[in-house]
Amino acid sequence: MASIRFDKVGKRYANGFVAIENLDLEIRDREFLVLLGPSGCGKSTTLNMIAGLEEVTSGKLCFGDQLVNDIPPDRRDVAMVFQSYALYPHKTVYENIAFGLRMRRTPQAEVDARVRSAAQKLAITHLLDRRPSQLSGGQRQRVALGRAMVRRPAVFLMDEPLSNLDAALRISMRAEIKQLHEEMQTTFVYVTHDQAEALTLADRIVVMNDGAIEQIGTPHDIYEKPATIFVASFLGAPPINTLDGEIGGASGRPVFRCGDVALALPPAIAAPTGSKATLGLRAEDVTLDPKAQDDVAIDGVVNSILPIGSDQFIGMKVAGREFFFRLAKDQACAIGDRVRLAALTNRLHVFDAASGRSLAGG
Amino acid sequence: MTQAAVLARRRERLPFSHDERRAWLFLAPVATTLLVVAVFPIVYSLYISFWSIKLTRPHRQPFVGLDNYAQLLADPEFWHAVGRTTSFTVMAVTAICVIGLAVALLLNETFPGRKALQALLLVPWAIPYVANGLMWKWIYDSSYGALNGLLFQLDFIDKYMVWLGDANKTLPLIANAFVWKEVPLAALLLLVTLKSIPADLYAAARVDGAGALQRFLHVTLPALRPGFMLVIIYETMTAIRHFDLFFILTEGGPGDASHVLSWRIYVETFRNLSFGTGAAMSYILAIVTFALAYGVIRALGRNVR
Ligand SMILES: Nc1ncnc2c1ncn2[C@@H]1O[C@H](COP(=O)(O)OP(=O)(O)O)[C@@H](O)[C@H]1O
Ligand SMILES: [Mg+2]
Repeated sequence: MASIRFDKVGKRYANGFVAIENLDLEIRDREFLVLLGPSGCGKSTTLNMIAGLEEVTSGKLCFGDQLVNDIPPDRRDVAMVFQSYALYPHKTVYENIAFGLRMRRTPQAEVDARVRSAAQKLAITHLLDRRPSQLSGGQRQRVALGRAMVRRPAVFLMDEPLSNLDAALRISMRAEIKQLHEEMQTTFVYVTHDQAEALTLADRIVVMNDGAIEQIGTPHDIYEKPATIFVASFLGAPPINTLDGEIGGASGRPVFRCGDVALALPPAIAAPTGSKATLGLRAEDVTLDPKAQDDVAIDGVVNSILPIGSDQFIGMKVAGREFFFRLAKDQACAIGDRVRLAALTNRLHVFDAASGRSLAGG
Repeated sequence: MTQAAVLARRRERLPFSHDERRAWLFLAPVATTLLVVAVFPIVYSLYISFWSIKLTRPHRQPFVGLDNYAQLLADPEFWHAVGRTTSFTVMAVTAICVIGLAVALLLNETFPGRKALQALLLVPWAIPYVANGLMWKWIYDSSYGALNGLLFQLDFIDKYMVWLGDANKTLPLIANAFVWKEVPLAALLLLVTLKSIPADLYAAARVDGAGALQRFLHVTLPALRPGFMLVIIYETMTAIRHFDLFFILTEGGPGDASHVLSWRIYVETFRNLSFGTGAAMSYILAIVTFALAYGVIRALGRNVR
């Protein structure tokens, strides 16, 4: 019942701005789906269409088999957590959580039971008589979660719920939200621009850019098999190293060339010799190896070293671009050293230079 | 010792730092003006309220302590004036709040012509009280007034009425003129408050299942509290002390039907030339105004962030 289907859905705002175009997406019952993308790409718009807060201006939006384009939010059985929390400032925490139930004329005994059980789960029982202004950001966040939980909705929507929290709290709340999903057994649609949040929480991630979907997949797929250069660059820290060049190579083995860099590509790369391509190489996909074969080697002079505790990032110029690589700390090197790195061939990503789409076959 | 160190030591001995002294210098003109035109009259009128000062009897002005106050409180006429001021204020402030809210809600919607309407709304506010008074005097006029003309043509009345001559209608009619002038400010204050309500709150309420009326009751009205607080305090203080319209429209008449406190203060002070009593009455009015404002802040200020 709580599966959601977008069928060529478009959203044009009153001022004529087209925020979403031709969106096709199937959200499965009880899955944790994350909408990920940069600010302004249309994540909130998509979420608000599910909630019924924004009208769908073209295409069909269905919950299960039911077309919901014209169904108002209160009859959609969805609950939503807002980035601003949107707590009613003059109501107590208790009344904030109870509000949705009261609007649905739930008997008082039931309201009380549900509010108290949610409060207990979220460890905010001692705050029930306070007002939102007397709470910390983290506490407000919990109240907002509680308000959505007590409704026991078929679909749980969250719009950047953690982005107003400090870093430590954000990480511990991630775990709680994940647990909440397991307990509630409902469909979660979660919007964020934070890739780490998406990778930890999601069953599936939808990467969006400029009102359209770039890729849908599991966190593993999105990270390991980015379908476009946009997806590859959006995920990973530091961002993936990229280099524009062309496909070359004889005897059936494709090679990527750019200046003095020539790297053997995985055999599955499907592109004619001579076509323009963009190489993507993640920081962690190299090892320090003075004896590396020429067709996997990247040579350069270390010009910066950034230790990050367990590992270190080293920076060097490769074919005129600044690249960052992640090496284990015991792989000693110093600024000014000339080093040879070996790229892991089957972890190289190659994209068509014009379309930005991955050239990895199958 | 370096020069900077010498300066620093010298600075330590002075009661104010260099910056503070310069600040006082710049503040001095305003501070002096305020002392002369605001603080001095306030203190001086308190002072003369303890004396029996009558300009008709300039050579005998004895100190009477609280006698001026005691006499006033024992005077039934004074209490009638208090009653009239109260009913004028209650009528006016209630109407201002209700109409102001309606106008603010209207202007918070988007519709063609909203900008023009918003600009037009400010006209009454920009008109001085005296001009407003003269305009309404004209409208209420018994022989050529616009109100008579309108009602006559609509067949609500069969002959022209002496509107302000009817003791039962005087206060409401003056209040009406007052409301007309004050609604724009109230509407504007409430509109600003309305605009500051986060859109997310309405979205959350919709998802929670609240209909339009419930969103108004649970989101809009509570959020308007600070706006209403401002409007009620400001308009109460303005209405309770209001003088101009009474002076222009009725001069306290007919009979004593519009003898409100401010009018009595004027008559006592400038017609009877009894400055001590006038000052005492002014002080009572000031204290009541202050107490009311405090009460409203306490009552409405609860739960306001
Ligand atoms: N009410 C609106 N009217 C016009 N344009 C809007 C409106 N709301 C959002 N937009 C535009 O639509 C685009 C997508 O917005 P949004 O869905 O909020 O992005 P995101 O949540 O991914 O940051 C943005 O370019 C934004 O400026
Ligand atoms: Mg957003």
